[in-house]
Parts: sequence; C-alpha cells; structure tokens
Amino acid sequence: MNYVDRANPILGSSVNRIDGPKKVSGRAVYTSDHDFPGLLYAVPVPSTVAGGTITSLDTSAAEAMTGVRAILHHGNIGKLYRVTDPARARVDEKRPPFADDEIRYYGQYVAAVVADTFEQATAAARAVKVTYAARSFNVSPSLESNELRVESQRGDVDGAFSDAPVKLDETYVTPAETHVAMELHATVAVHEGGAFTLYETTQAVVNHQHVAAEMLGEPKENVRVISRFLGSGFGSKLWPWPHCFIAAMAAKQLGRPVKLVLSRKMNFMAAGHRPLTQQRMRLAATTDGKLVSLSQDYLTHTSLLDDYKENCGEATPFMYSTPNLRVRSALVRRNVGTPTSMRGPGAIPGLFALESAMDELAIKLNMDPVQLRLQNEPKVDESTGLPFSSRHLTECLTEGAKRFGWNHRNAGIGAMTRDGMTLGWGVAGCSWIALRFPTEATVELRADGTVRAVCATQDIGTGTYTVIAQLISDVTGLPLDRIEVVLGDTDLPPGPISGGSATTASVINAMRQAVRQAMEAVLTLAAKAPNSPLLHRDPKSLAFVNGAIRAGADDTAPLPFQRVIEMAGGASVSGQGKSEGGFDDPLKKKYSLHSFGAHFAEVTWQPEIARLRVSRIVTVMDGGRVINQKTARNQIEGSLVMGVGMALFEETLYDQRNGAPINSNFADYVVATHADTPQMDVTFLDHPDLVFNEIGARGLGEIGLAGIAAAITGAIHHATGIRIRRLPARIEDLIST
Amino acid sequence: MNAPARTTLTPDFYVTVGIKVNGQLHTLSIDPRTSLLDALREQLHLTGTKKGCDHGQCGACTVHVNGRRINSCLALAAVHDGDEVTTIEGIGQPDHLHPLQAAFVEHDGFQCGYCTSGQIMSAVALLQEPCGPRDDDVRELMSGNICRCGAYKNIVAAIQQVRQNRRT
Repeated sequence: MNYVDRANPILGSSVNRIDGPKKVSGRAVYTSDHDFPGLLYAVPVPSTVAGGTITSLDTSAAEAMTGVRAILHHGNIGKLYRVTDPARARVDEKRPPFADDEIRYYGQYVAAVVADTFEQATAAARAVKVTYAARSFNVSPSLESNELRVESQRGDVDGAFSDAPVKLDETYVTPAETHVAMELHATVAVHEGGAFTLYETTQAVVNHQHVAAEMLGEPKENVRVISRFLGSGFGSKLWPWPHCFIAAMAAKQLGRPVKLVLSRKMNFMAAGHRPLTQQRMRLAATTDGKLVSLSQDYLTHTSLLDDYKENCGEATPFMYSTPNLRVRSALVRRNVGTPTSMRGPGAIPGLFALESAMDELAIKLNMDPVQLRLQNEPKVDESTGLPFSSRHLTECLTEGAKRFGWNHRNAGIGAMTRDGMTLGWGVAGCSWIALRFPTEATVELRADGTVRAVCATQDIGTGTYTVIAQLISDVTGLPLDRIEVVLGDTDLPPGPISGGSATTASVINAMRQAVRQAMEAVLTLAAKAPNSPLLHRDPKSLAFVNGAIRAGADDTAPLPFQRVIEMAGGASVSGQGKSEGGFDDPLKKKYSLHSFGAHFAEVTWQPEIARLRVSRIVTVMDGGRVINQKTARNQIEGSLVMGVGMALFEETLYDQRNGAPINSNFADYVVATHADTPQMDVTFLDHPDLVFNEIGARGLGEIGLAGIAAAITGAIHHATGIRIRRLPARIEDLIST
Repeated sequence: MNAPARTTLTPDFYVTVGIKVNGQLHTLSIDPRTSLLDALREQLHLTGTKKGCDHGQCGACTVHVNGRRINSCLALAAVHDGDEVTTIEGIGQPDHLHPLQAAFVEHDGFQCGYCTSGQIMSAVALLQEPCGPRDDDVRELMSGNICRCGAYKNIVAAIQQVRQNRRT
C-alpha cells in the first residue's frame, strides 16, 4: 500500500484547534457542567486543626436545616478500601476519606453535607460542629534530615570537591506551590443499576477507573470515568483525591446523582501541591571552567502518611559533564496535605538549583555562563553511559544567545540600562524526560465519509484532540473537518495519562497503526465487495490516496472509501493500534531520552520604586519534531508565564499558628496575570527524534517551566547584585541593599 | 431516573426575580443566597460561564449586566431583578462565532478553555471601554481575568486584531 504526502503537510503546520469553536462559545462541557435529574450537591467539611483527634462530630443542627439529605463522616460513609495495586492504580493520598478520627493536616475532610442545592449544602457544612483534641504539628519551612539516600553516584565527589581550585557551596529553596488550575476539582457521581459513572476532573481516566474500582470495592467494569474537557490540571488532577470517593459514596447511598465541587480554598488543602524543596549544591571546577565535582543533597517535604517524593535529582546526573557526581535525598514529614506532581515534578525545582549554581559558578570563574555550559557539554549520558537519542542543548544555547543579543551583555552588576531602568540578563539550560506510555487506539472509517479516532486518553488543554486529528489526516489525506476524535472515556480503548509530557508521543504509533489497519481493511473490502469496480483486484495493488482508492498511479476515477463501505453494506471499517512505553520502556535500556532547551531572560529594575519586571524572554527548544506549531508554542509560552510566577510570585504559605495553607485564594497566592506577560520569542529546533517514534516528536508540556526561574533570578542578580536562592524573589529581598 | 424535584425549599425562602438572559426573560424562584453565577449555571443550565474562585479574583465568571462586565460570582441573583444579562452563550455559537471568538480560535487564545468564556466576555466589553491602543493598555484592562495556562500573549493578539479591524 502506498501513502502519498500531500503538498502541504499537516504535520508541523499551524492549524487551529479542532475543539476551538466549542471552547470559545461556552459549549465545551467540563465536569461540573454536567447535570442530571435529581442532582444533589455535596460540600465537604474541612478540619480546622493540623493535628489531633476528632472528639465529637455534632451534625444535629446541620441535619435539621432545609434541604439536607445526608451528612457523611467516619461513622456512616461505608466501606472504602485501600489501593493494593499501585502500579496500575496510582493515588498519592492513599488513605480513604474519613478512614479514622485522626487529623494529620489542616483541611483534611471530616464530613460532607449533601443537600438539594449548593447554597443549602454550603450553609449546613458550616453548621457541622466538630471538636478536636488538638496535638502539636509541624509545618515549618525549614527542613532537616540525617538520612540522605544516594540516588546517583560516580567518581569521588568529596575528594574532587576538596581538591578543586574553584568551589561553590550554596543551598537553594523552592517553596510549596499550588497548581491552581482554573477549573476547580470536581466530581459528578452517578450510581445507577449497581454501577458508577464518574464525571471527573482527571488527567487520567484509566488510572482513575482503576483507583475508584479498588477504593469503592467494585469490579472495574462497574466504574466508568468520563472527562471530555479538563480545565487544566498541571498535575493536580493526575491522581484521584479524597473528595472523589465522598461524592461516589454519597451517590450510592442516596441513589441520586451528586455533584461535588471543591472551593478554591479546598484546592489548596487536599488536592495536592508541589512540596517545598531545599537543595544544597556543591560544584567545583578547574580555573578554566571544567566541572570536576557536582553534588546535590536535597530534602523535600511530604505528608505524614504518604511518601510523595519530588525528584529534584532527575536532570542532574546527565545535564553536564563531570567525572564526580552524587545526588542524595531525603523526605521530611510535615502536617500538610499530600504533595503531588506539579508541572515538571522534580526537574523544575532541581533545575532551579542546578542552573542557579552554574550561574554562580560562572561568576566565580569570571566566565560567561553560556560558555561554562557549552564547555561542559557531555558526549553521552554520563550517569548510564548511554547515548542520547537526540540532544542539542549546545545549539539551543548558541541560537538563543544569538536571538537574544547576548553578545551585547556587559557582565557588570547594574551596568546595563534602558529608558532609565537597570537591565538584568540571565540564562539557563533546561531538560525534561521523553516519556511514552502504553496506548491502544481504534480508528473507524465510516460510510458517511468521516473518520472516527478514539482512545481513553484526554485533552487537558494541550491540544491532544487536534494533534490526533492531524496524525489521522496525515495518513489518510482527509481534511480535519472529516475527522472526529473522541477521548476522555474509559469505555474507549485504554490510553495514557495526560502527564509527563507523554501524551503526544504515546498516541502517535497507536493512532497511525490503527488508521493504517482500517485503510488496509477498506482496500481488502474493495477487492471483495460484490458491486465493487475493483472486485478481485489484488489489494496490494491498490492505494488509499486522499480518502479514495486508486487502482494505479494513472487511475483518474479513484473510488471514495465510503463508497466501498456502502457497497459492502457496512457502517464502518475499523483498525486497532497499540504502542509500547511506560516508566520501564525497553528503549530506556538503549538510549537516554530527554528534551533540552535554553532560556534567556531580561528583567528591568527600577531601584527608586523597587519595581522589578520580567520584560523579555528568548527560549529555544529541542523537543523533537513539532506536530502543531500553534499548540506547541502556546505550551512553551504558557510555561514561561508560569515561570514568571514561579520566580516572582508563587508560594503556598502555611500558617505556623494553626497549620493552614493561609494564602489559599487568587488574591494571596499570586500567579502571573496579563500585565505580567513578558515579550516572548520561542524557537523550536527541528531535530526529529526518530529513535523515539516514527514522527520524531517528544513532549513539550513541561520543559518550558524548567530552568526559567533560574534564568530570571540570574537576571535579577545581574541587575541588582542580589542572588535569590529562595523562591520567589520578593520585593523585600531586593530593597535590602 | 425518577427523582424528586430539585428545590424543596420552604416557600418563605423563595425570592422571585425576573432576569433577562441573552434576550430571554426568566422568572426564577430562588434561594436568596444564590449568586448570579450559580443561578446561571445550576438553574438556567448556562454552563459556559465558569466558576474559578467564587471570590471575584479570577474573572472566569465574567458576564455582562446591562452592558457592563461584572464577576457574576460576587453578585447575588436576587438583586438583579429586571436586569439584562449576557453570557458567553449569547455572544455567538460554534457555527456562528462573534469576531472575538473567531479571533481567539485563530490566535489560539486559550489552552484548556476554562477561563476563556470570562476572557471573551471581558474582551467584548473592553471593545466599548475607553482603552488605549497599546498592547499594554489591553493587558491592564484584562488583568482581572487569570489564565493559568498563560495564553495571555495570544489573547491580547486576538483582542488587538478585532480592535484593529473595527478601527479600519
């Protein structure tokens, strides 16, 4: 069978999102938009202590209130189970809701009110009286541990450090951060005929189904999970949270659909956060700037019961060449809700520390920070000895420097000015793993001339609907308006999580296999259908070109594929595809699989009024082949905007008096707004990673946030002489001079 | 599913309000605690308007009341008796988009789409407001609408394209 590339390839183009018109007209249906007859509303009651035991839970006043149908708590929620198969069913907060009377963090749910309306449930939730025997708790942001465990090691890191002529020994802190996806976490649970349908704000319908089945004690086929549109997640919606099972149990007990939408405040308490990290970096180099020792000892906080680890050493072992390296880590328990993956988990705080340390080392060496990175570029992944599948960090740095105008940099502190403002310029490298997960897909060619591609993955805003349509269009030659993509439903063939920047790379091979199989089936049908003009032809002599079947290169009257299906009396012809992957991807035994990039940041500083702005960012990405220029660019630019927040604004603060995440709203947890948007110039290098998949695409959802905070704090140092080692950079840090 | 009616409030808890939404008059008997946002979403099932904070801090719930943009989560429905409300559903449909909606698609002025209704409602209002010509002017007037995906650059480009077309 032949495939014909069209004159204007759809892959790598800038087509609009196929779901765009729905999203801009309010017609895209998100979880909390679902409505059913008899719908009830659930509102959780969060604890108001960070440690202790519930001594009484008085629901009498709340129960007497109008519209209240039930108040669920430890005594009556019914049996919920713990997950026993974490490889298939991942959940970060493993304790089922209301499992005991112990309180381990502020905001832990102690009850939930179900009522006829949201207003009634909200009022009644406030009327539930809970008393606690409070215990001491710890939410200190200062971490200590004597139990460092080695993660990666080569050479003699301590010996090389002590002998080296140029050294750096500094500790970098990134605060607890909260994802604050615009869409509040929500569940709409329907229990009917003994089975659950759960409309969930999830980045992973398949995982959610496994977790829900285990925790609810149901066979998997009794739990269907649906997420058609997700108002973003950034990791906070990767794994289920306790509220999901409160809603499910309420729906089951009451025999009515139940909607539970967390408040913004609850989102800060019991729906995950990026944990605080504290990283001691020791770098040593020769006087001409060859790294000889790199040590990273890092601590991260986690909750009392769960071992979520922020893997800050993810990129350290392979980022730069050094014969001596060691990464060690330890978890420190705090009375906080369980942390979880947040965009670029591990590598993003890790690269803030590593890239900041590289910048500081360059200053000690009196060397250009770009040059320091260039001359410590490794030839292979020195942690494993494996070759990189595709690594172009050097080109990212040199291309970025050129686009930014880095050669005009005067390295002196505060030496550059523009329009009466002091300028600061900073640079950082970045990296993120190339991941792909096992994926199955089905593609149908239908008698109405359309194609339907389905998979139980989901589009969380990254553009998965559109990218899949482009992949199908590329193979079939059909226009996007004849391609329907259906995702976000566990009734579909199992698909990947929308996490780890893995979705695109995961679906590529499965989707293309599936559509090719469907096309081959149509060709076979063309040679078999009784009325077909191609009856008895060898299917191998036929070609599927732009949606029609050609008997040869000079066939002037190709047969539309839908005619063949029609002639055979069928509704559709389908094909299946399957692709490999996972954290134990066999490809990882042969190659070091990562994306790379470089950021150049400019800040403006007005010391007279202590006003700091990020004015300009130039970013160059080496993320393999880009399938959609528009959605890819949007991912990177969006990450840069988030990076401005990470560098300057974002920090979840725990009240030391009561343990509450105290700035639990958009006025006090500050994220970048329109007015904070810098000028951005994003370039994609075009180096398809054909080791990784047949298109050569890697993921782009997270890497843009890696390194950017270090580029910005490097620029702040250049402008002000102040080195920010504890994020975010605060105005009070800058006016201390 | 045979379920009882949604509202089982005692009659003395009801407030009757008449609100014209997207040109159509709705007479609602509502709990006086109901925000305009919740009335639109939970009673009128106009779910294009989103809840992102319920505190007037994020802008996802932006609608027009008598032609001006407001955060509908900060407004009690009961005080809008007789008012005219426009929601995203009243601005355009998928096959008949308002120029701003079309510009948002063209410029990819969103990712997840959750803040998008609010961004567009703010932007439609901005077209009539005294806003300077520069991108920075638009950024200032749009800063009440948070986009956590960070599609700000594209949102401003979409707004500026429509403003440009209106001037010429």
